[in-house]
Amino acid sequence: MKLKTTLFSRRKFLNGLLAGGLGSLFASMLYPLLRSVIPPYKEPDEVRLPGADFDGMEPGEVRSFAWDIKPGFLKKNADGAFTAFVGVCTHLDCNVSYLPDQKKFFCACHDGWYDADGRNIAGPPPAPLRRLSVSVEGAEIVVRKEPPA
Amino acid sequence: MSARGWWPAFRRWLDERLGLEAVLGFMRHKTVPKSGHTVWMYTGSAILIFFFIQVVTGVILAFYYRPTLEEANASIARIITDVPLGWVVRSIHSWSATFMITFVFIHMVGIWLLKSYRKPRELTWMSGVLLLFCSLFFGFTGYLLPWDALSLSATKVGTDIPRTVPVVGDFFTKLLRGGEDVSGETLSRFFSIHVSVLPLALLAVLALHVFLIQRLGMSLPLEAEVKKKRLAEIPFWPNFIFREAMLWLVLFGVLLSVAVFLPPGLGGAADLRAPAPEGIKPEWYFLFLFQTLKIFPPKIWFLQGETVAVLCILAAVLFFFFIPLIDNKPASRKGKILTAVAWLIIVYALAMSAWSLAGPKPAAEAATHELAAGPRSAGERTGISIFLAWTWTTIVFLVFVLRAKVREVDKLNAIGYFRDKSGPADK
Repeated sequence: MKLKTTLFSRRKFLNGLLAGGLGSLFASMLYPLLRSVIPPYKEPDEVRLPGADFDGMEPGEVRSFAWDIKPGFLKKNADGAFTAFVGVCTHLDCNVSYLPDQKKFFCACHDGWYDADGRNIAGPPPAPLRRLSVSVEGAEIVVRKEPPA
Repeated sequence: MSARGWWPAFRRWLDERLGLEAVLGFMRHKTVPKSGHTVWMYTGSAILIFFFIQVVTGVILAFYYRPTLEEANASIARIITDVPLGWVVRSIHSWSATFMITFVFIHMVGIWLLKSYRKPRELTWMSGVLLLFCSLFFGFTGYLLPWDALSLSATKVGTDIPRTVPVVGDFFTKLLRGGEDVSGETLSRFFSIHVSVLPLALLAVLALHVFLIQRLGMSLPLEAEVKKKRLAEIPFWPNFIFREAMLWLVLFGVLLSVAVFLPPGLGGAADLRAPAPEGIKPEWYFLFLFQTLKIFPPKIWFLQGETVAVLCILAAVLFFFFIPLIDNKPASRKGKILTAVAWLIIVYALAMSAWSLAGPKPAAEAATHELAAGPRSAGERTGISIFLAWTWTTIVFLVFVLRAKVREVDKLNAIGYFRDKSGPADK
């Protein structure tokens, strides 16, 4: 028997609606799911350090401070001003240490080296250590997250 | 009803509802080809044994472990010093992970070189690669949980690696870490992944893997298939299982002994702001990747070295996953070249691992294993020695019995006993 119209167009159309509807319902759940799996974190705008902790630093001396949950390093320059670094290797995020006798920063994870100005000089690090701006305000040393001018 | 009568009746009752006979009949007829390559076929079930041990010991550890910044390290210290036999349970968990990964590698190399992944077993291989990733991810997440200096650095590096992949990488790093940086958030989600996401994922893929193996049967060696040679076959049950069981028992004994005599210690709690300890190394199965990342220069042309390294590794992973489709003519010249590539990769991984091990000795090792694990009293020491002696005596005894059983069932098989005794399924 030959039908004048095909029965399958309506059937296909409904199946398409069903699949498309279910698909878009699932797809729209992805956004809230993915949103919820990353908690908020805001890096501090500034960290205030008691100046007394950094009194009597020789020019070229480096001391550490806490940049929120990361290590920070404060270096006294020859002109008496400070330079601040975030002590996190730019290669793969390990914390670096400062070796005062060699005047270098060192990352033990993959043998990365930076000079005392935070420039990457040897090993895999692709970029210098991140810098923070420092100002002395009264009895406090204020480290701010924007890079120094 | 007589005492003997209730069992067949109960079985019939169950079978009417579950259709067990179909499964049992299938198992009864499953055979394993017997050749020089049969030994590779023991490696898969060994992995299962270790996985089972991981589940049991992992559940016990999870009773005591607390995945927070303040308590993680201390709760493991408590498992080592306070929980009765806690140090043994943790040691078994740690060693069984190593044994499991070792056997995953052996299993995989065997299948790779025998080319058992060829048609129609491509999906079996691919599901196996997924299982390998699950296992490695298990290792990676589990490594962080003690929360000491080594595990923190390893996790910082490992979770930073996705970030070097352009476009999508940053999201994955944040997803793994629970933010921009490794923190307490990372610890709790690694725990959640380690104890809930991965076990579910692994079991699901494992079900597919085992189903495919049953459906497709054991693969024949390539030469036998090419020459259309008929190989001797032995029934899976009981001839093959009895052989496997000997290996399981011995492996279990070795695991128990190693765990008792070489328990892992625990380093002091990690400090998020402390510099990475010198000579840090990941778990041994990541050493070759670790060394690869170390030797890449910071810049290759205009690209960052690490990005290139990670993209190379990703390409290798894809090659590895799709190898059954790439190596589609295993008996031809192309197949031989791909076998050579397999050997090259094995040699590369071994050489890189050896190089990494020869590198600067971790000064950290001594410092990070501040808390040594071991028996806490002479009584415990004696008890464990007696227990081990008893375990080994039983294992040796059982292996002898199993050898006798193997000889017996092989003779029965030779005279066609298992063929004649067909189950109801084939009537």
